[in-house]
Amino acid sequence: MMNARSYQGNPQKNSPALGATLAFLGVNGLLALLHGSQGCSSFIRLQLSRHFREPIPLNSTALLEDSAIFGGWEYLKKGIAVAADKYKPQIIGVMSTGLTETFGDDMVSALSSLRSERTDLLDLPVVLASTPDYIGSMQEGYQRTVESLLTTLAVNSEIEEVSGSLEAEGDGKARGQAESLPAVVLLPGCHLTPGDVDELKEIVSLFGFQAITIPDLSISLDGHAELEAAPLVQGGTLLEDFRRLAKCSACFSFGLSMEKAGEFLKRTYGISHTNFPSLTGLAATDSFILTLARLTGKPIPEKLLRQRARLLDTLVDFHDQLGKLRVAAALEMDLLYSLASCLAEVGAEITLALAASQAGIHRLSLPVPIEVGDLEALEEGAKASTLIIANSNGRQAADMLKKPHLRAGLPVFDRVGYPQKRWIGYEGTQQFLFDALNSQN
Amino acid sequence: MFTNLSKLDLKDKPSLAEAGSPKLCMKALPGEGAERSCAYDGARVVLMPITDVAHLVHGPIACAGNSWDNRGARSSGSQLYRRGLTTDLLENDVIYGGELKLKEAILEIAAKHQPKAIFVYATCVSALIGDDMSKICAEAEAELPIPVIPVNAPGFLGDKNIGNRIAGEVLFERVIGTGDVSAEKIPLSINLIGEYNIAGDLWGILPDLKNLGITLQTAITGDARFDDLRLAHRACLNVLICSKSLTNLVRKMEIRYGIPFIEGSFYGIHDTSATLIAIAKALKDPDLLTRTQAYVQKREKETRAIIAQHKKRLENKQAILFTGGVKTWSMVSTLAELGINILAGGTQNSTPEDFQRMKELMDPTAQIIEDTSSAGFLKIIAEKKPDLIVAGGKTKYLAHKTRTPFLDINHGRKLPYAGYEGMVTFAESLTRTVFSPVWGYLRAEFPPVGG
Repeated sequence: MMNARSYQGNPQKNSPALGATLAFLGVNGLLALLHGSQGCSSFIRLQLSRHFREPIPLNSTALLEDSAIFGGWEYLKKGIAVAADKYKPQIIGVMSTGLTETFGDDMVSALSSLRSERTDLLDLPVVLASTPDYIGSMQEGYQRTVESLLTTLAVNSEIEEVSGSLEAEGDGKARGQAESLPAVVLLPGCHLTPGDVDELKEIVSLFGFQAITIPDLSISLDGHAELEAAPLVQGGTLLEDFRRLAKCSACFSFGLSMEKAGEFLKRTYGISHTNFPSLTGLAATDSFILTLARLTGKPIPEKLLRQRARLLDTLVDFHDQLGKLRVAAALEMDLLYSLASCLAEVGAEITLALAASQAGIHRLSLPVPIEVGDLEALEEGAKASTLIIANSNGRQAADMLKKPHLRAGLPVFDRVGYPQKRWIGYEGTQQFLFDALNSQN
Repeated sequence: MFTNLSKLDLKDKPSLAEAGSPKLCMKALPGEGAERSCAYDGARVVLMPITDVAHLVHGPIACAGNSWDNRGARSSGSQLYRRGLTTDLLENDVIYGGELKLKEAILEIAAKHQPKAIFVYATCVSALIGDDMSKICAEAEAELPIPVIPVNAPGFLGDKNIGNRIAGEVLFERVIGTGDVSAEKIPLSINLIGEYNIAGDLWGILPDLKNLGITLQTAITGDARFDDLRLAHRACLNVLICSKSLTNLVRKMEIRYGIPFIEGSFYGIHDTSATLIAIAKALKDPDLLTRTQAYVQKREKETRAIIAQHKKRLENKQAILFTGGVKTWSMVSTLAELGINILAGGTQNSTPEDFQRMKELMDPTAQIIEDTSSAGFLKIIAEKKPDLIVAGGKTKYLAHKTRTPFLDINHGRKLPYAGYEGMVTFAESLTRTVFSPVWGYLRAEFPPVGG
């Protein structure tokens, strides 16, 4: 049904470069540089800014007509040099666009050419992410960028202490390691808000782990009043943290899109890796909590058991209302899977599940087939639902169909507090169900 | 396939570069962080407020996906213009070309949405892969009962101004004067060029025009219907209110249709009155002029009485002004009306002429902001420590980080600031931000110094 059209009507997709920007915004002291025309960066800044209500530091190589003929290679070199000189960032994160990928700018050779001319820039870490606009959505751009961050910064950084025992993967040995190396790597996908990431870190700390979070939006885009405003990323993963990865005992990645990044760390440092496609819902949270408990060999913290008991009580109290929900959702894949599987688990009916792009569509399943679709498809397919879950742009469909509309994903610009909300873990799942039910009036 | 830029009067006659204006329309340096957007954005700003047509973006998701329905241009009728429509070029389209997909998309959209016309926007990628958009649009148009209009302003052509001008060309060549055979003038009628009905600005001006007996043929393009735009050549006067970006359009309308034009602004009491009087004079109706002179006096008095309470509180506050286009100079007098001094002013997307006009209105000691990047913006705030910042939404959250009261005057705002009514709303908004209790909490030390 959806693929019959030759156009996207009210797209739910965001550009991959926007996803790349989001990932870069979780790294401290970074300056993001978009290799494209000024409109590309302007639209991304505006979109992220109205979602997070934060300034979005993002520069561009400001390509013009001549670059369409001669390519943007020189612009990229100049852009990196100017950004480095003017803003003195600790890291520069570059992402490509449809324009530069179409004329095939080789970013790697531009960087090495610049470094041979400017030896003072040899030590400045520059992360290159390939994010052509015509492949995928925000989720793919974010995913590729996290992978680039790891392959560039984790491998190039000196490994301070590599212990042979890190290769152990069995439960017994992992437990032993946890005593001596209480650090884990968390790789949150772009379906998690800064509030979600904060909650995730809190859960992990309840088990006594220190966490290195890549990227860490919970301390950069969490909407805190900074002591001093600056045109660089403030907060987020520290550059030093990338050098400490070898010392971590385990890696957890969240959202199927983050699996590859986790597998990379597993291969590179020989640490265990577990992917959790979702952290929303009882079963999803149970699975994560039990994994943490097994790793530490300690009992589950009382606080979490209490939260679980409250969630169970909520499920009982509202099982009838939950069972009546008929949900049409249009979201980026990882978020779609997380929220829809949570609702299906408690008896709600999923009537329509539209993903923004192909990513993971054949590996994750919901009670209804997942299709790739825009918000015009939502409008056409959500007539039988009692609840629409989509980003703020779903408002046209919701208004037309006169259905309640729970905002989720990005952008959310017509409701306040979305970036701070927590919909993961036992408490977050409870909150998500409350929000879904409250939307029913 | 592109509009010939040399025909667009890109260079306004006298070079003002030597007269002390910054290098406004110069190329942005890669990496420096100038935040200026692209030609495609400039074209969509001008054309996308047209309400009852479909706006189809021929490109990958970045161009439409990140931006559709994100401006505050409002409509009193059709909501079709708010629909995000794009061919969403994918990898295979980039390799094999997107012409076929574009043609199909146009036909499908015409069938599903029944638009009055379809505007098709080129983007960097569609231009690079060599899709002949003009040909496809002509082919589709032959099969449809509606105009299918190509807008060839791919982003890499330059900044927003160039896109604005190309949009003006498109309106002139493909819309205005194409509908009706009659060229008969409508008495006392005007077009408002460059008024986009942001947050309903236009609706704040309409009652005044109506009270004076002036007919608005159409705004270009706020709350505009396609059929009204086609009849724009029947107006007696063009009033250019977003300064220079559509000058090419009004000049050409003057030559082809004999419609004179004046420049004006509806921001602030002074400019609103001056513009209304200028309209009355240009319409050459002595009775209208007498009416208007009495009317503006009455409205000024009423408005000043209402804003007096705000002026009392805002007087002698120090502001930094950072905006573009007509608002560059219009805002200077609007702030002056409230007794607010301008410490420094800067602009993007304005012509040297706009800029000179702003400079003349400002206090000679006021500083000109030349570095329009975030870094430059922060530096000037740190230096000047203003009581308030008046700027576009882009800088809003950065300004908040500096703990300085801020008012958004660009397209992201929710309230209309145009006309006499708008002046009252503007004064109220300023008072709300400057005297909000929150600034004190942000500036206070915590825990308190000394326990």
